Amino acid sequence: MFGKELKKLLSKKYWALYLMVFVILVVAEAIGTVKFDIVQNGKSLFNFSLFPMLFAILIGLILCGSKKVSTEKMDMASPAIAIGVAPLIIYLAKSVGPAWPAIKAAGWPLILQEFGNLGTIVLSLPLAVLVFRMGRAAIGACFSISREPSIAIIADKYGLDSAEGTGVLGAYITGTVLGTLFYGILASIFAGANIFHPYALAMAAGMGSGSMLAASTAPLVEAFPEMATEIQAFAATSNTLTNADGLFMSLIIAIPVCEWGYKLMARGRFANQKGLEKKEEQ
Amino acid sequence: MAKEKKQKAPVDYGKLWAERLVFSVVCAILAAIANTIYGWRTKAAVMVWPWECWAALLYMLVIIFVSYALHDLLAKVLPFDVPGVLYLAVLGAVLSFPAIDVPLGGIFGLEGGLMATTFAKFYGLLPLCTPVLAFAGIASGKELKNFKQQGFAIVCIALLTFIGTYIGSAVIAQIVLNAQGVI
Repeated sequence: MFGKELKKLLSKKYWALYLMVFVILVVAEAIGTVKFDIVQNGKSLFNFSLFPMLFAILIGLILCGSKKVSTEKMDMASPAIAIGVAPLIIYLAKSVGPAWPAIKAAGWPLILQEFGNLGTIVLSLPLAVLVFRMGRAAIGACFSISREPSIAIIADKYGLDSAEGTGVLGAYITGTVLGTLFYGILASIFAGANIFHPYALAMAAGMGSGSMLAASTAPLVEAFPEMATEIQAFAATSNTLTNADGLFMSLIIAIPVCEWGYKLMARGRFANQKGLEKKEEQ
Repeated sequence: MAKEKKQKAPVDYGKLWAERLVFSVVCAILAAIANTIYGWRTKAAVMVWPWECWAALLYMLVIIFVSYALHDLLAKVLPFDVPGVLYLAVLGAVLSFPAIDVPLGGIFGLEGGLMATTFAKFYGLLPLCTPVLAFAGIASGKELKNFKQQGFAIVCIALLTFIGTYIGSAVIAQIVLNAQGVI
């Protein structure tokens, strides 16, 4: 069995697929990182970068959309996603060991605060399921802020060519383009609102994405320049912790909670309709 | 991995391992190529050619296949479903501790640790993402209609997750810092 399957995977048809992926990869990497900086009156309003990985998926989608790729090729590429994501996971996990001293030194306040990252689900999941009636794409979009590690997790668990994959990829693109702008505004509002202490907001700024960390720390430092050092330390430590534990938090808590919440709400809502849930699970 | 389980169909291990072997090697090689283009494009101080990554790729493949073997073996014993990626993450995390990594490196005459030295050949996370996303672009062609239909909803939901994590973290931080008397 193994030998026969191996031969199939090394057949001409599959080599055509590998070649296609190779070309997409080279083109995407050659385009490189494209930086956008939206400037108004000489002041940077917000900025974002589009990475090669985004071009890679866009080129693939465009090729598919213009019917240049057969459905057979799409199906052939599908299992490669869950498998190809493994090096990514190891690369992410390797930050745990070196970060361990920082985690131990931070103590339980910062560690406890990590559970705040589960707040992603509280607002978004009910709306996604009940208002937008998103189906299982809701799980992919809601369990995290959809950065690179989240894509890896969904790729492994559901595959990116699934409803959940659509959710996480859509949210990833949203975050890439709008993330810094959105967090810049949000952080300015809270910095002026006087609801939370600046230290608490600094910890909230560390959510595992470098650009979003910067965008949500800057307004805070501007509002409280006398606390700049502490704010940056809290934010950076919280960010390091999230980088180290995000993978595990998502896998052990966030995704199961989303699955459970989705089933609960989808059942209540769609009970009398012809099983929306079932249709999507096929 | 989860897909086969959902249907509760008997797993075709021959097919599964053939796919794992071929796609892992293909993706690893492509990642090394992406890595080189990344270095060339960003005018990195040290140029890393794809073949110079061989040790990192080999080490990755060893970790990957050990995880797969653990996953398949334990799936038969454990009563609950453990995602394959968790084995990878835990194994990767454990091996990243200097207390383990440095002696492992010592075996091969690498002073800084096996993972620390070999993985340093990668410029970063981004080149590793590109091969997977290139495959995903092709495979997601089927989902194109979904994307178009749900685009607006997903944008709204993504922004809500941003608000959620920010407020959630701030609330817990505020409570804990208060309890500690820091603020």
